[in-house]
Amino acid sequence: MKNSNKNTTASRRGFLKNIAASVVAAGALAPATLRAGDDPILIEEPEWGKKLGLPVDKNLYGLPSPYEHTVTRRVHKLLSSGDMYASVAMCPIQDLEGIITPNGLFFSRSHGGVAQVDPNEYRLVIHGLVEKPLVLTLDELKKYPKESRIHFIECPANGSTGWRSPQFNTLQFMKGMMSSAEWTGTKLSNILKDVGIKPEAKWVLAEGNDNSHMGRTLPIEKILDDAMVVWAQNGEALRPEQGYPVRLLVPGWEGNLNVKWLKRLEFGDKPWHAKEETSKYTMLTPSGKAIRYFWPMEVNSVVTSPCPDKPWTELKAGDMVEIEGLAWSGHGTIKGVDISFDGGKNWTEASLKGLVLPKSWTRFSFMYKWDGKPILLSSRAYDDAGYVQPTIDQEVKSVGVETIYHRNAIVTWEIKANGEVHNVHIRS
Amino acid sequence: MFTLEVKKLSKVVAFVLLAASTTYAGDVKAPAFKDKAIDGGVVYKVKDGSYAGVYRVNTQVDKATVKFGRTPSAKEIKAGDIDVRYDWQGLPDGKGSVERGDELFEAQCAMCHGDMGTGGRGYPPLAGGDIDSLKNQLIHPENGDEPPMRAIGSYWPYASTLWWYVKTAMPFPHPMSLSDDDVYAIVAYLLSVNEVQIDGKDLDDDFVLDKKALMKVVMPNVNGFYPEVNGKDGAMNMKKFLSDSSNYGTPTKRCMKNCPTGKVVRVKNSLDSGIEPAVSQKRDLPKVEAKSGAANSKYADMFEQKCNACHGNKVIAPVPGDKEAWASRIKQGKEVLYEHAIKGFQGMPPKGGHADLSDAELKGLVDYMVDKSK
Repeated sequence: MKNSNKNTTASRRGFLKNIAASVVAAGALAPATLRAGDDPILIEEPEWGKKLGLPVDKNLYGLPSPYEHTVTRRVHKLLSSGDMYASVAMCPIQDLEGIITPNGLFFSRSHGGVAQVDPNEYRLVIHGLVEKPLVLTLDELKKYPKESRIHFIECPANGSTGWRSPQFNTLQFMKGMMSSAEWTGTKLSNILKDVGIKPEAKWVLAEGNDNSHMGRTLPIEKILDDAMVVWAQNGEALRPEQGYPVRLLVPGWEGNLNVKWLKRLEFGDKPWHAKEETSKYTMLTPSGKAIRYFWPMEVNSVVTSPCPDKPWTELKAGDMVEIEGLAWSGHGTIKGVDISFDGGKNWTEASLKGLVLPKSWTRFSFMYKWDGKPILLSSRAYDDAGYVQPTIDQEVKSVGVETIYHRNAIVTWEIKANGEVHNVHIRS
Repeated sequence: MFTLEVKKLSKVVAFVLLAASTTYAGDVKAPAFKDKAIDGGVVYKVKDGSYAGVYRVNTQVDKATVKFGRTPSAKEIKAGDIDVRYDWQGLPDGKGSVERGDELFEAQCAMCHGDMGTGGRGYPPLAGGDIDSLKNQLIHPENGDEPPMRAIGSYWPYASTLWWYVKTAMPFPHPMSLSDDDVYAIVAYLLSVNEVQIDGKDLDDDFVLDKKALMKVVMPNVNGFYPEVNGKDGAMNMKKFLSDSSNYGTPTKRCMKNCPTGKVVRVKNSLDSGIEPAVSQKRDLPKVEAKSGAANSKYADMFEQKCNACHGNKVIAPVPGDKEAWASRIKQGKEVLYEHAIKGFQGMPPKGGHADLSDAELKGLVDYMVDKSK
């Protein structure tokens, strides 16, 4: 897979035309000004410089360049339950820059299709063990004081195809069940001041209004700490795939707990044990017993450049290049990232860069002079809660290979002498 | 002799030192347990007008009480309160027999979940396996390792969840359409095919499940989960469990030199070929595909909404565009197909379960599917 940003694009686009132009130019004009090897793109004015562009009233809701059409979410039949309704579309994280995911590329996971909710008929009901039950329309909800926070959302099944062995050789399908956005809404505690929680209330059922009527139990401690109800992502209304018009946001916790199309919050004295916290989203260990209510997404990282989708095939031995990646932790803030070139035997510190925020994607960087020899490139993040990303052996020794969820073991790329990058596991 | 021994010994010591020269950067600083969040993570506070030291906040918000909205009526709350908690809070009255459940399952569930809930069409199996299988770890399939089986009888801890889920999320294409009695019947059937007992007895065909009987059900794997979350210490149990990361294989030290590693395992059977659209880094213009007339029909959207859940999967129902599958059906004539669509046929319930569709709309949908499949 060659990167086509360079001269290959030019030759494909106008090879014959440029040859003809060169021949004419070479004969009629000063030959010395157009030697073989001159880039015709630099010599000739391109067509877009010689005519009007599109009018500003074309595409009033803007679209990406048509040349970027390969940067999309993607699906795989094996990652669905028989159809594309209870399924997931993976985020192309190999093509993302910075820590914000464009709304059209945000990974999309639903359990009964993407509900199409009429905002005029939207209601949020809060009831159960509260002093004063409350119903809010969308307009009423939006009158509460707003906050904006940058947080990732990750499905706990992200990376689950790797429990036994590596199966995908593309970053999008290895880690694309996550994305990150700036979310705007109000802290739940702002609404609950008026509602009043009864002392015996310990748990909350959050329920969505989609086909699956997604229900999940949350402890009241999280609700009062940093949970929000949000109606905007990256400055605009939530996309339907993200629960338009309103979703719950529980920063750092399982994507599934960030209930979309939020309809109801019921306070109670016991947890509910909904289908998605018993039948699914539980971690079966080799003891035959399963861990339940595993809420946080643990510390994690992956090198995004290079990766199988963005190889080093254009590099020459001796080139200085930036190794870049993403680190994140639902337990807190990324403190640092270590990087290894020998499959995890020896580690050295990488740099963090840009915004370093709680429960957010964080970029890391390392400048590297590649000698053109094969390497095993790994990253390992640690956070301010005291947790370090485990090796595959450490994780599997503890929870086995059948948990499906919460896989955060170190990712390793095998970079070959020709610059190809392959997903490998380092395991005993 | 003595010198030789010492020499040998010093060699051994040197070897041990070399092998043990794994070095760590030390524990990563963690908050004290009492200061940790309920998930074992960090609690961030607002200090000097700043949250976590990075977001500025308006501290006036904390002092203000904002009040919008209204108090819902008891009837409004009850209408939306559709959950059934594990202690049976929320379970309505009703009853249904295993036999009636069998009929309903055949008509509305088996097309996806297979006969007797054995699965096999990409949708989850609902029966099979036992608790012993939960210890299975599929590490070496070539050596005959079997996976654990996580169906209702072998995995689910509570029958309340089954009633709740069938009522509010099934049948998949049109949930919230089953009466409470029908849900009792389907739950009775599913408990019976999972060999779950009530009062020590199997549920045979004429067994009638009602609220009282359902509340007696103890699922075989009720004790198969940890930590204990149900008592008054439930949340604290979770905090203790999640705060001790050795419970889930997460270290607290950074090994820096001579760390234990393993073998390189490469991708053997790649799943990459099933990716749609194929992963590509080419920056060229997209191919423009010719639009078919049928795809522009006003029924395309309706098909997507109402029919595609079954008619998008050829193992369940013929998929529009699959000329081979449709040829024999088209031969029967449109009147027959209209009738099947409206009144139901084999696995397909009347109107595909969408009572809100008019006969004319059903006919339009049939026309749409036939046009796409000629």
